[in-house]
Amino acid sequence: MIYLNNAATSYPKAPGVVDAVRSALTDAPGPPGRTAAEDRSTLDECRDLIAEQLAVRDPHRIVLTPGSTYSINLALWGLGLRAAHRVVTTVTEHNSVLRPLYHLRERHGTSIAIVGLGADGALDMDRFKTALESGATLVAANHASNVTGRVNDVACLFSMAHEAGAVTLLDASQSLGHVPVHPEELGADLVAFTGHKGLLGPPGTGGLYVDPNLDLEPMLVGGTGVRSDLMLHPADMPTRLEAGTPNLPGFAGLAAALRWTAGPERQGPAVASAMAERLRDGLRTLRGVRLVDDDSRAQRVPVVSFVVDGWSVDEAGYALACSFGVQCRSGLHCAPLIHQALGTWPHGTVRLSPSAFTTTEEIARAVEAVARLAGCA
Amino acid sequence: MRIVATTPVQDCFDGSTVFTYWFDTVWTPDLVQVLRCLGELEYFSDFPRPFFRLRCGSGLQVKGVVGEDNCQVILPRAEREVIRESFERCFAP
Repeated sequence: MIYLNNAATSYPKAPGVVDAVRSALTDAPGPPGRTAAEDRSTLDECRDLIAEQLAVRDPHRIVLTPGSTYSINLALWGLGLRAAHRVVTTVTEHNSVLRPLYHLRERHGTSIAIVGLGADGALDMDRFKTALESGATLVAANHASNVTGRVNDVACLFSMAHEAGAVTLLDASQSLGHVPVHPEELGADLVAFTGHKGLLGPPGTGGLYVDPNLDLEPMLVGGTGVRSDLMLHPADMPTRLEAGTPNLPGFAGLAAALRWTAGPERQGPAVASAMAERLRDGLRTLRGVRLVDDDSRAQRVPVVSFVVDGWSVDEAGYALACSFGVQCRSGLHCAPLIHQALGTWPHGTVRLSPSAFTTTEEIARAVEAVARLAGCA
Repeated sequence: MRIVATTPVQDCFDGSTVFTYWFDTVWTPDLVQVLRCLGELEYFSDFPRPFFRLRCGSGLQVKGVVGEDNCQVILPRAEREVIRESFERCFAP
């Protein structure tokens, strides 16, 4: 099996992840409470490693969550958006951003402006600027598209957003682990991320960075393992936004992945990026195969989308997986609006996404498989 | 070849019309030909695991690979039950 569906979830995981998860489940639990351990707890270590990854000074601004969707909901609901508020976002967003926004609109009357793509396939900056002129409480933007891999110029977007007085939310689900995600450099007040994609950690892990100048209302309150004497949920970060028993095995695994990521031998992002480029180069030569958004000037994470003449997207995905053993993803990839912008609505694309562990031989075999679908092998 | 179960397929698309059909035996090149009466059948014998797909004017679509005991079926919204029956009749005792 050739696994090229890392944009959905990474496989294999980083070295050390499986052992760390296993140990967390088989070793006796540590002392109760989150701060009672003599040594730094798993959660603290994970938080510190994420802070390093994000180049954030205070690890307490990192809230550990089950993943990006949770983090984005935490941010959007925690901001208390109501009818008087306006959110500017983009067509490149995943449903993990779009659906909470639509629910806010339905439930509270929050208004939403969605910025499309320009002729070059990048976000239309003029339309973005125009959208801000009508006022914005929040700008929510995807760092990298999970359909095309294109990295949005969020530093520019967020600079304009701040000038307009908006809070900024970055969805780094597809970018963290592949390209630098430094909130201060990018001007991101909130950064939602997941542990199981580019970071090569376990599913059920992720987080939300919250700028020190920003307070979010908690979405959940309850047990914290600390300050049980208080009637109300503790207000200190990160406990303020973390309630209930955390996923310790998952975060032990994520910490292991982050340790590997930070290691000197780590060539992951460069390898994955090179494999994606090789894949793109291979597919581009095939008659009957159309790469979706193939502007070579764009910065990208390792995601390649395409369609094949004579094949519906789901047939192509099924045949690649079941006949050729190439695990891929076909369809809308939970990001419906970008397909309307790219002309791939309503069926979507076939998506291949390599990782740090993908080999050149696997890429060659995947290209060969697509060539045979297209009838040009 | 008998149908033993059907399971709905939920994926990135509207899964209400997509089903996996499970059979009591695996698909063989000969068994694939059973589908020919329903519409345009294509058989890709040169794929590592031979692949077949059926496309019908009614909107019925079927795809699968030889050696597996299942296939994926997309039923159209219009006249769905009639078309489902016509497909399942191919495998009636």
